[in-house]
Amino acid sequence: MTEKSKRQIAAETKERLVIEDNYIPLVHDDKYILEVNALKKYFPIKDGLLQRVTGHIKAVDGISFKIERGTTMGLVGESGCGKTTAGRTILRLTEKSAGQVLFNGKEVYDYTKKELQAIRPQMQIIFQDPFSSLSPRLPIREIIGEAVREHEIVPRNEFNDYINDIMENCGLQPYHRDRYPHEFSGGQRQRICIARALALNPDFVVCDEPVSALDVSVQAQIINLLMDLQDKFKLTYLFISHDLSVVEHISDTIGVMYLGDLVEFGRKEDIFRMPLHPYTKALFSAIPVPDPTAKINRILIEGSMPSPANPPKGCKFHTRCQSCMEMCKTVVPVQKEIEPGHYVVCHLYNDYEGA
Amino acid sequence: MNRKNKNNIHMEDRQGKPVDSMALDDEKRIKILSPGLLVFKRFIRNKLAITGAIFILAMFIFSYFGGWLMPYREDEVFTKYVDMSKVYAAVSENTEYKFITTDNTEFPMIARSQFVLASNNDRNLFESQGVSYSIEKLADELFVVFNTREVAVVSIILGNTNVALSDPSMGPSFIERLEEAVDAGEETFTYNDKKYLLVQGKKNYLAYELEPLALATLNRYDFISADISVSYDFAFAMELAMHELMETGEKSRLITVGGVEYEMEVEEEKASIYLRNNGDRTLYANISRYLVESIYQDVFISIDFKDQVKAMMSEGVEGVQDFVYVNIDGEEEEYTIERNNTEWVIRWIEDTLVIKAYDPPSKEHIMGTDGNGMDILTRLMYGGRISLMIGFIVVVIETMIGIILGGIAGYFGKWVDNLIMRIVDTFNSIPSLPIIIIIGAMMDAQRVDPKIRMIYLMFILAFLGWPGIARMVRGQILSLREQEFMIATEATGLSVSKRIFKHLVPNVIPQLIVISTLSLGGVILTESVLSFLGLGVKFPFASWGNIINAVSNVHVMTNYLFVWIPAGFCILITVLGFNFIGDGLRDAFDPKMKR
Repeated sequence: MTEKSKRQIAAETKERLVIEDNYIPLVHDDKYILEVNALKKYFPIKDGLLQRVTGHIKAVDGISFKIERGTTMGLVGESGCGKTTAGRTILRLTEKSAGQVLFNGKEVYDYTKKELQAIRPQMQIIFQDPFSSLSPRLPIREIIGEAVREHEIVPRNEFNDYINDIMENCGLQPYHRDRYPHEFSGGQRQRICIARALALNPDFVVCDEPVSALDVSVQAQIINLLMDLQDKFKLTYLFISHDLSVVEHISDTIGVMYLGDLVEFGRKEDIFRMPLHPYTKALFSAIPVPDPTAKINRILIEGSMPSPANPPKGCKFHTRCQSCMEMCKTVVPVQKEIEPGHYVVCHLYNDYEGA
Repeated sequence: MNRKNKNNIHMEDRQGKPVDSMALDDEKRIKILSPGLLVFKRFIRNKLAITGAIFILAMFIFSYFGGWLMPYREDEVFTKYVDMSKVYAAVSENTEYKFITTDNTEFPMIARSQFVLASNNDRNLFESQGVSYSIEKLADELFVVFNTREVAVVSIILGNTNVALSDPSMGPSFIERLEEAVDAGEETFTYNDKKYLLVQGKKNYLAYELEPLALATLNRYDFISADISVSYDFAFAMELAMHELMETGEKSRLITVGGVEYEMEVEEEKASIYLRNNGDRTLYANISRYLVESIYQDVFISIDFKDQVKAMMSEGVEGVQDFVYVNIDGEEEEYTIERNNTEWVIRWIEDTLVIKAYDPPSKEHIMGTDGNGMDILTRLMYGGRISLMIGFIVVVIETMIGIILGGIAGYFGKWVDNLIMRIVDTFNSIPSLPIIIIIGAMMDAQRVDPKIRMIYLMFILAFLGWPGIARMVRGQILSLREQEFMIATEATGLSVSKRIFKHLVPNVIPQLIVISTLSLGGVILTESVLSFLGLGVKFPFASWGNIINAVSNVHVMTNYLFVWIPAGFCILITVLGFNFIGDGLRDAFDPKMKR
């Protein structure tokens, strides 16, 4: 190997730091409330005295999916694969690096700050940790009603009734209004979070692992509550979770993420019937079955997830894949539609000419 | 979960149907406490914190209401009368000539000393500052000084007398008189009521016209009233008469000066002059060698008093001798007289106004007075006001700077944060005490008004104290900013101002209160140190620090404990109180502390 000159290294580094923003613009279809196209979110790694950008953590590395109105999309994947970042980037709580997010056919990132603030009530988020997501110094009515007042969702004289209604809908008692977050249990706090999101009368809610911090009995209550509310208010959910059984229960479509990539995406039934991607297969084999006699053929994934700052070349999963081929190590796979609405990103299905 | 079922229960509640009394109804069971109330509850359960609060409250009442109730002012100096033996007058034998000048003339001081030299050397002519004077000796220690003007030069050449006149207005009769005098060998002669002096030179005579200027005598004239002053004519007549009487041994004589008839009585070296009016005589003046003068400029010592003193002196004074003088109003006044070499000192007991310095505690001054005669209790109260006020204002200013800069750094982050934090680092590396000492010395040199100086002091202390608070606020906001409830405020589309003031600030305030309370004690201490060193609050304003400053005098430190111990105690109590409260608040704000 010949030694690279300094200039060459610099040029390569520069090239590496460029975030590619190539995508085929989407044509909006009105049945989708949210269309995500090649969305990327890179966090810069700064180093040295001058805090120069020396690299990127590729938290979300070009994901594309669509959510129909009134349905729930489950987004699964192991810790650190970029699910939460994806959710927050879609809501523009962190700025995107590249790609397209269409909400009701409009690019979320085209709004000015003022317009964005006006559109915020339509897309809400429920956080994972019900303890840190409530300001400890405000009573519940303020936490729920603050933004209602700000956006003038209801007339001033109906405000109290409206808050009471929302609280009741979310399974809280109206006399909880004047209490402070520290006086509630985890499940109640999560209900408060849900009430805060729903009070703004949203169309679309990102549920960022809303039940992971709760114990199992409360999880079921919250999931059922979310489903009831979906029926009642015609909500669309992006349900982020690492718990496949919860996702199976609530979702209409499922996306599987691995290291910033959406490796498989499709209707719930299709995916559970026929998982295609080796990672999805491994994940689904880990779902516990409530039958002690049942024999499960577990697929074990060895090693740990590579660093998103320096992901493997080719297919990102090839370092841990059981059906890894030579090709996987060099060529980046592309998304393929195996059956209608069922997409996979894997070289195994390169020859498949279906749909 | 069955939602329908749950809703039914609510319906019943709302319709006001009786609820089962055994039901654990949250509404009845749990008392709702806001976080603020919880903190308050935890705070008042903390005995130490309550002690601190009582200390501070007491100090406040003491300083503000006390100062308001005290009848004395902050810088009121108290005085008292003390009987003190003080010098009233001094008597000495006169050895210096007194010059009694004629009307409208002046005998300069330099010429006076030239006169003394000339009279000692028996010269009858002297010059001073280009003016010629001549002296005529009337008797021992009695001279007349004349202004002298050269009028003619008389030269005798081969028996012929030749007169050269300086003043052409002089007539031929004057030349005749002059030649006559030269021939007779007279030293002085009179012409037209004017005195002339002839001085023999080597080949000629010089003639001078003499104009009386002053009478030089060792005698002193004591008149019955301070309004009368001695005139040349009067003195001339009296001196001559006295001299003649002493020579002849007569006792008395009548003298008329300026149409007024006087009678003089002589006794040894003294003379009394009486004013005669239709046969009655009243004492008018005394003449003697003794000078009796009060050390007070405006006091006129009566002639009786002088007589009495002179009589005692002639009897001889040994040691300290008491005497009583009955004044004009018939009141007795006590004096002492003491001989001191050639002088006699007369003392009297006088009620003297003195400052009540270091007066021990009494009914009037419960804690005594300090070195300036000011009431210590009053000064403690006013000093407390200033110390507490400076503490509060400094903390308010530094908290404001701290919140603004720390908040900006924390909220905006990036290079703003970097810049502000480097400024904070710079401020933290400044040695604050030397800086304050230097600024204090500079203000001393500039003679800054004490009131303005106090304001400067506050700003300087605040300016040096804000970095700690800024750093704390910044750290707090940095951590709060990443909390999910802050992201939720963004997601719900709240305005930036609401996010800052409703969510960020209330969550920083607990730590802010704690750090401010703790730094209050620190500021009060720093202020005391500076005032103690004389660089902080300056007289006439009191501060606990500058009250303690009295200990820099070892005598005060060891003998007058009541001056500085109370101020030290006040500082101790206040700082302790603030620290107790700060600790109590910190515990109360910390939810992990279960008290």
